[in-house]
Amino acid sequence: MWASFGFEFVNFYFIPGLVLGCIYALGAIGITLTFGILRFANFAHGEVMMTGAYFTWTISTLAGLWLGWSLHPLVAAIPAIFAAIGILMLIDRYFYKPFRNAPTIMVVMASFGMMLVVRSTVQFIWGPNQLTFVKGIDKPNEAVRQFTADLDLMILVPNKHFWIMAGTVIIMLCFTYLLERTRIGKAMRAVSDSPDLARVTGIDVEAVVRATWVVGGFCAVAAGVFLAMDIQFLETTMGFRMLLPMFAAAILGGIGRPFGAVFGGLIIGLAEELSAYPWIGDAPFISPGYKTGVAFTIMIIMLIVRPSGLFKGRTF
Amino acid sequence: MRKIILSSIAALAMTSTAFAEVKIGNPMGLTGPIPDLVAPMAKAVDLAAKHVNEQGGLFAGGEKYTIVRADSACDPVAAVDAVTKLININLVSAIIGPVCSGSTIAQAESVSIPAGVVTLSVSASSPAISSMEKGTDLVFRTAASDAYQGIALAELTLAKGIKDIAVSYANDDYNAAIAGVFAKSFADKGGKVTANEAHEPSKASYRSEIATLGATSDNLALFAYYGSGGITVMRNALETTAFKNFIGADGMLSQEVIDQLGAENLTAVTFTTSASDDSTAAYGAWKSLADAAGVPAADPFVPNSYDAAFMMALAVEKAGSGDRDKIAASLRLIANAPGEVILPGEFAKAKKILAAGGDIHYVGAAGPQDFDENGDVAGRFSKSVVKDGAWSAELIK
Repeated sequence: MWASFGFEFVNFYFIPGLVLGCIYALGAIGITLTFGILRFANFAHGEVMMTGAYFTWTISTLAGLWLGWSLHPLVAAIPAIFAAIGILMLIDRYFYKPFRNAPTIMVVMASFGMMLVVRSTVQFIWGPNQLTFVKGIDKPNEAVRQFTADLDLMILVPNKHFWIMAGTVIIMLCFTYLLERTRIGKAMRAVSDSPDLARVTGIDVEAVVRATWVVGGFCAVAAGVFLAMDIQFLETTMGFRMLLPMFAAAILGGIGRPFGAVFGGLIIGLAEELSAYPWIGDAPFISPGYKTGVAFTIMIIMLIVRPSGLFKGRTF
Repeated sequence: MRKIILSSIAALAMTSTAFAEVKIGNPMGLTGPIPDLVAPMAKAVDLAAKHVNEQGGLFAGGEKYTIVRADSACDPVAAVDAVTKLININLVSAIIGPVCSGSTIAQAESVSIPAGVVTLSVSASSPAISSMEKGTDLVFRTAASDAYQGIALAELTLAKGIKDIAVSYANDDYNAAIAGVFAKSFADKGGKVTANEAHEPSKASYRSEIATLGATSDNLALFAYYGSGGITVMRNALETTAFKNFIGADGMLSQEVIDQLGAENLTAVTFTTSASDDSTAAYGAWKSLADAAGVPAADPFVPNSYDAAFMMALAVEKAGSGDRDKIAASLRLIANAPGEVILPGEFAKAKKILAAGGDIHYVGAAGPQDFDENGDVAGRFSKSVVKDGAWSAELIK
């Protein structure tokens, strides 16, 4: 049973889908928060992911050059997160804040422009060519392979995927604590539900906006670094390519619903990978060439059938 | 006073049009996605024109062989604009160029074929160019069709003892075309194509593609560009150890592949690319000319560019005038056997033979440039494997 069905399904479709889903989920959190609290679709979100990954690469490269340390990407990501959040704050202060009371379409366009500015700046500094993030091939973890093979349930997972999945779970737990237990988390949820009502109850909306960028930026950089760990190289459109599935995840989960975004991200990631599984016969169910289409189809069906998403998010 | 100036300018203009020269249009992708590749190609075209003019120019009167350059930007729309201007305003006798397949096809279909002007492309390699003409004989090229590379690769694969193979190709014109030729030729020659799947370029993960393909064969033929997904496909394939052997074409032949994946993981990888046989006398002649002029002799399609410009001059010389209708026929006469062999740079020798009524057979820097009925040349290919952390090429005999 395992040899004929489970081995291939779990190792080559389900686990990769889960890893992709984790990356989508983290990215979608930022999108859904800015959409819910600041009320605009932030097109520059993918570039935050990309910039964070570039910062991480730079820090680990410099640490190697100057100090002779070889930092794990997750360690180098910590200062990178602070740098990326700092830049996000500056962008918000000088580019988005003037549009705070303007019609939504203006700030959406501003974010589109910001996307191009950030990407061009990165290309200017680091160049348009690919950079190697982690060299070589990450073979499946031997201990896990051996242990599960003895149980007749052989699982092949490279170490980088363990890091990505564990990292996502830890970030999700912290995030849940922040939203459910802390004052600022509760304020964020209140502003997301109704900004006017939140303001009259004395909530500092600007503080909530800053918190949104911090949380969104943190998750975006984590997603970017996880993505770079998975594909092992950097290029300047890596974030942009993830943007549309992340929007699909945010819409699927319901705009302004962070847990919905996580759920949506996992669903989209799994749906993309599982759509190529040979469910009927030997051929892929849907040719893998059309994977991207799967995320869009889900997004469009959701918008038609249930625009508020699975978790009753905001509709516009 | 103004009248005098105007009339003298007009007189000057008339003398300049009356000045004896043959103009050849040369649209090149000077801007666009591959300017770095095109710059030395343009230099090679200029070098050929320089050699022709230094060795007495065209015809008995020593008319000047003039290259009129334009920018086709590796873009179909820009190419059509550039060639329209070259044909209708500059009144060129023929076209050498467009670099990219898309711009070559577009300008030929909508401008040069209707105008009855010969196009001799220097690097367009799409198989679609072979079959684009109906009833005319106006499109030629000095670069081998990808169709030949697909066949060469299929033969190479079978020669390595690989009998069954899974094919994965990026969903774009170039890679889909060469994958199609490879799969057909591999099957015709007795191999078995176990799966033939497209993949979307630039995705974060290709694991499900690899799983589907890996279940069918231990060998993978990969047709992709290294910069848009090819490396990720290779990485996912190596991670799962689904494949033992990899083969592919020039889209993957980059140092970047070795730098990212590590040479130790690429021991069973062979990629092909078009190449010149550097042991021939023609290549030796080209190399010394190119080195003397500071042109990189071995860069992609640089020898092909020289050949195109040089052959066009020979064709015009053979035709005896810059008449557009005569060039196609004389291009075939100077490029194909029989005749006395002419090597790169030997314009004076060729001119003398032609003046005496003899036949010539140009053997080019990039290889013999004998045109078949479609105006295609055979070309040579090399296979590259990783050796000491770099690609090491060897000509396929």
